[in-house]
Amino acid sequence: METSRVKPVVPVDARYAAATLAKRRAGRALFVCFMAVLVVADLFPLIWLFDFSLLKSGDFFASGILKWPDPPMWKNYADAFAKAHIMLLFANSLLVSGVSIVIIILASVFMGYAFTRMEWKWRKPLFALIMVGMIIPIYSTLLPNFIIFNQVHLLNTYWSLILPYAAFSIPISMFIVTGFMETIPRALEEAAVLDGLTIPGIIFRIILPVLRPAIATMAVISFLNCWNEFIMAVTYISEDSLRTLPFAVVYFMGQYTSNYGAQFAVLAMITIPSILIYLLFTDQITRGITAGAVKG
Amino acid sequence: MHQMISDRKTVFWLVAPGMVLFAAMVFIPILASFYYSLTDWDGATAYHWIGLQNYLQIFIHDKIFWKSLLNSVLLGLGLVLIQHPFALFIAMLVQYCGRWEKLLRVCIFIPAIISTFVTTKLWASVLSTQFGLLNNILIQLGLSSWRQDWLGNPRLAILCIIFVCMWQGFGYAFLLYYAGIKGIPQDLHEAAMLDGASQLQLNLKVIFPLLAPVIRINVVLAVISAFKQMETVFLLTAGGPADSTQFLSNYLYSKAFRDNMYGYGNAVSIMLVVICLAITLILNRSIKREVGEF
Repeated sequence: METSRVKPVVPVDARYAAATLAKRRAGRALFVCFMAVLVVADLFPLIWLFDFSLLKSGDFFASGILKWPDPPMWKNYADAFAKAHIMLLFANSLLVSGVSIVIIILASVFMGYAFTRMEWKWRKPLFALIMVGMIIPIYSTLLPNFIIFNQVHLLNTYWSLILPYAAFSIPISMFIVTGFMETIPRALEEAAVLDGLTIPGIIFRIILPVLRPAIATMAVISFLNCWNEFIMAVTYISEDSLRTLPFAVVYFMGQYTSNYGAQFAVLAMITIPSILIYLLFTDQITRGITAGAVKG
Repeated sequence: MHQMISDRKTVFWLVAPGMVLFAAMVFIPILASFYYSLTDWDGATAYHWIGLQNYLQIFIHDKIFWKSLLNSVLLGLGLVLIQHPFALFIAMLVQYCGRWEKLLRVCIFIPAIISTFVTTKLWASVLSTQFGLLNNILIQLGLSSWRQDWLGNPRLAILCIIFVCMWQGFGYAFLLYYAGIKGIPQDLHEAAMLDGASQLQLNLKVIFPLLAPVIRINVVLAVISAFKQMETVFLLTAGGPADSTQFLSNYLYSKAFRDNMYGYGNAVSIMLVVICLAITLILNRSIKREVGEF
């Protein structure tokens, strides 16, 4: 009885299985194609950027989408490097970002400790105030800060960038630091107190080393923010020798309007460090960016 | 221990430097901005106190202000209705990419890591009439008649801005959803699979509802970012042609530094702060209510 019931079913099942396998393969191929197209479309402007940065000036107006650079014009990079004062701009950007990051980290770690570990009256309202800073558009401080900096003679100094960069990174950094500190067991500090450490000792000897991953995340995110900031750099600095990298683009687009190759080379040179930093610190960046939104 | 962690002096020295910096760069400027918004200052000569006149002007006569606001709403809609559903969809698909998963994640996020001034200059050349990629593609496809001065046409320019913003922010939107999905405990997937759920059912009935809080937060972030929009417009069209792509941040900048109406620019700035705070408050309220229904 049983075999007679099963027998006719088997071939149908096999056919069905073969069909689903074929369907699954087709689906898989379609899926792979779709993802490949997505990635290429997403990255296409960048591929195009690097392609065009190696073209001869005459090649730009030829029709076609990607043009094979023949020969690749590395000279564009040399031109851009020489004419845009890239080294100076790089140094300025590094200095401004570097000092901002140090301030951000120290301020956030100290404040983070006070906000998560200590007991005081204004703890909650002050924390709420800092979190409001996440909502306030940076650009609404552009006009008043321009006047204030002018009055206290901070315009055209590195500080006119460092101070606002540091201040505007405090909310997100505090978010990351306080989130991380909650996970540090208090027993660690209690033991330290028994060993005779005071609060600064605890922060520098116990908390800072444990916080290392959170600090790395904060540093990378602040770095990208400062490195890429544009409007303040253009508004507060008018002295050529103090300009940061974003200015290279504006300057170059204005001065060398017909030298397209060098323009694209400048864009490429500014882009490469960001991409390298991202590839080196992918996980830290992912953690930092998602810390705010997913938990909150 | 207790004595130590509630020591006022220590708290003061830990909190004061950061707090002073933050207040000096964020809150005091906004108060100063409010003060200047009540004047007719041109940024250079003597100014007069004119009360709420700037605000009256904004509310009653300033078409460009309302145009900027409308543009922010359009951008917000573009982000919430197009960018985010697509980002969520891709974030779900990436889960099935096996060993390619990390590579895909990195590739998709790369545009978001590049500074806006580079990406906008890049898009300006993609959309350029001279050697622009877009017009070239149209020629290659035999659609020469579709070629356009993309950023020169007021109706197209705003669509271009919205598109570029969607492209720039796509990596962030994607990453937030991706991390949200990764945050869902794996055993829930397995339990659903054991119950015989198909991939589609798993996505619709298990992952999607669990992602609801992440989606809500991201939608709030998207809307606020639409109202904060500045750099892309500043660099791509500077609000033009004929203020058709104006956004509030760019508008306050051009009022103060281009038209020398510093007081008025500050009034626009204060309106921007109020709008951003109001949106966050409203969205947070409505979200909390929805969460309560669970």
